Amino acid sequence: MTLATRLADAPLRENSKEPGVLQRAWINRADYLYVLPSIVVMLIVIAYPIYYTIELSFFTTPPSLQLRDKIFVGLDNYSLILTSDVFWRVTANTFIWTIVSTFAAFVLGLGTALALNHEFVGRGVLRAILIIPWVISAVAASYIWKWIYHSNFGVIGAVLVSLGITDRPPNFIDSVSTVLPSLIVVNVWREFPFAMIMLMAGLQTVPDQLLRAARVDGANAWQSFWHVTFPHLQGVSTVTILLLAVSNFNSFIIPWIMTGGGPSNASHIWITHIYELAFGRQRWGIASAYSVLLFIIMMTLGYFYVRALSGAERKDRG
Amino acid sequence: MTSFGFNRAIRRGVSTAAAAAMLMSSTAFAAPPVDLSKWSPEYVRSIAGTKDFDTAADCGKVTPLDYKGRLTFWYQGVFEGDPDLLRQYYKDFFAAFRKTYPNIDLQEQALTYNDLLDKFRTALLGNAGPMVVRLQILGGVEFAAKGYLQELKPEDVGYSTEDFWPGAMKSNMWKGKTYGVPTNNETMALIWNADVFKRAGLDPDKAPATWDDVVKYSKQIHDKLGIAGYGLVARKNAGNTPYRFLPQLWAYGGGVFDEASPNPNYSKIQLNSPASKKALQASYDMYVRDKSVPVSALTNQQADNQPLFLAGQLGMMISHPSDYDVMQDLKKKATGSDLQKAETVIENMRYGLIPTGPDGKRAVVFGGSNMHILKPEYVDGGKVDQAAAKALICFWTSPEWSLKMAYAGSNPGNLNGFKTKWMKERLDKIKFLDVTTSMLPYGIPFPTIPETPEIMNIVVPDMLQNALTGSMTVDQAAEDATKKIQNIMSGGKL
Repeated sequence: MTLATRLADAPLRENSKEPGVLQRAWINRADYLYVLPSIVVMLIVIAYPIYYTIELSFFTTPPSLQLRDKIFVGLDNYSLILTSDVFWRVTANTFIWTIVSTFAAFVLGLGTALALNHEFVGRGVLRAILIIPWVISAVAASYIWKWIYHSNFGVIGAVLVSLGITDRPPNFIDSVSTVLPSLIVVNVWREFPFAMIMLMAGLQTVPDQLLRAARVDGANAWQSFWHVTFPHLQGVSTVTILLLAVSNFNSFIIPWIMTGGGPSNASHIWITHIYELAFGRQRWGIASAYSVLLFIIMMTLGYFYVRALSGAERKDRG
Repeated sequence: MTSFGFNRAIRRGVSTAAAAAMLMSSTAFAAPPVDLSKWSPEYVRSIAGTKDFDTAADCGKVTPLDYKGRLTFWYQGVFEGDPDLLRQYYKDFFAAFRKTYPNIDLQEQALTYNDLLDKFRTALLGNAGPMVVRLQILGGVEFAAKGYLQELKPEDVGYSTEDFWPGAMKSNMWKGKTYGVPTNNETMALIWNADVFKRAGLDPDKAPATWDDVVKYSKQIHDKLGIAGYGLVARKNAGNTPYRFLPQLWAYGGGVFDEASPNPNYSKIQLNSPASKKALQASYDMYVRDKSVPVSALTNQQADNQPLFLAGQLGMMISHPSDYDVMQDLKKKATGSDLQKAETVIENMRYGLIPTGPDGKRAVVFGGSNMHILKPEYVDGGKVDQAAAKALICFWTSPEWSLKMAYAGSNPGNLNGFKTKWMKERLDKIKFLDVTTSMLPYGIPFPTIPETPEIMNIVVPDMLQNALTGSMTVDQAAEDATKKIQNIMSGGKL
């Protein structure tokens, strides 16, 4: 809203007790005009695909037919998904992947941020080194880790065998029981610098005088952290956790490149499974139904993210 | 499960080669235009270098050499597992085409085997495909069935259908119509390291005769030397997996459908037959019971087996003659003791026929690629330059270039390629070519149905992984795969 408009509207606002929705919309008409281009673009690139995905989720597309020849099946795709064993396995994998990755990346990021919040020689260099996993390409990182983990000529296996710790290289990504934890380690390695940066920024907001006062009052390091530092990090922590959770829920590159969801679907998470259903198996309808379910979950997370963001802003202001 | 006449014939002592030749010929056409039984290494040597071809003149009759046009082209190109020699031929091909047709603006895009199908399907959904595509042999029918491809037969680009392998032509046919022209056709062989065999107490000059022998040899190599015996590959979404498992499946008398029978109709699923389960059991025995194959088999492609083999860490594997050149390329990167090791391995590289099943049945995937022209409505821009498209297809499938583009690894799609001077040169240069040529009569094409890519790239590897990881028993994995194929065939359920 321009300053001129605000000034012109000022008497109107003062006179009316409680302007209605339309009145407020008219008052703020300039704001709507400013955001109109963005809304149009959003409608084209987001709203239409969402609508089309929802529509597709009610159709089936056999391998011998084009997408345009799709057959209406109502809610069959949803019931097919919810009664399939793979769905529950992939969902469990997705939640394990998201929760463990988010928690571990946050804790590691917090620890590193706290360590780097103190002055010491080489702090800048160390900070730069620690950011590397986050800035390098996820594709390159996935290939490197695939090689590091390789069950026959992987770096970790070779080191362990040469040190006499194991007889044969450990099986990281070719076993159904170890593949997901192994991929989570890679994901945490890539994500913790993001949490670190966010929390380092948050640590700048902790008033130094409060920490000094706590020390004067005899608080130990843990007490200072828990009663002074951490409360100041709550806003940024919530936002960081939500951003990490959303990003992890949508992960694709690491599991797809390193294992393609295998072996035996043990590392399939929702996004990789949807990709395989759509592009590998051309089950556009089923993949769309999966996407709709994922969309609902993401919107719920998004709602909490916006709420947390608003809460953090209010806290900052207040 | 039905007992095939074909199997009975083998039991009666009919030679495997002749039977398989009959099988391949009859699967394609009622009156076989190519007598595959004569395609022995001796026959190939006898015809090599007997005829000259002028590619520019031949293709000039299809599309005038001064034709001005524009062409978009996607193709399955060279990848990390291919030799440098092949890379050079690809470069030479495009340079030669541009020189011959200087006024055709060719915009080509190379994609790897495992990426091409996904990208092509996605592009077609948005009507943004290329005008011409070169697809792997199992892909064409899917797109023909969906109506994306134009009818196209060798006669449209100046050749005769009889100039191409019947099995290859069959992979281009859907409901009696032809939708493509073969560029190359391949059959693989068993490669082994004679030095490893010797150190493991095996005859260094003798390939395992049967798949049961492969299991035994693999265990012996692993137990004696502590290295992997056989280069099993069970990665999902990778062409290498079906190319290596299906020969084993067929040799045991099994199959996905009845594709190994003389007249397949693909109506009965046989992945859960006792014979198919035996084949799966053999893989299970090697991976789980004996632990005699690379642990990384579940994520490996053949390209991952190559460095293991070169490092002397793998006794046997299935691959092309080009692997010999790949080893030479990899050797160039080695230094010090690694170089010495690599030299020893290359010296001890041996090629043999793919083993038979317990009944003496020998089989190999009849692989390769085909060129297709898309319908204009699915092409980026909505137009197809027919003349330019035919010029390119004529050029690639010519005797000269179908031979050169398959120089190190496979066979020319155009049979006249065998008659060129380059074939003669190739016989002298490419070691072990005879072995893969000897495998040609045993070649079995993948089922020519639209569901084949999903079955081969997803269901078959899933079955292997389910059994090898212990997620399911061998029986359960085979039954699960059968159920999945039933679902696919009955309208595309999961």
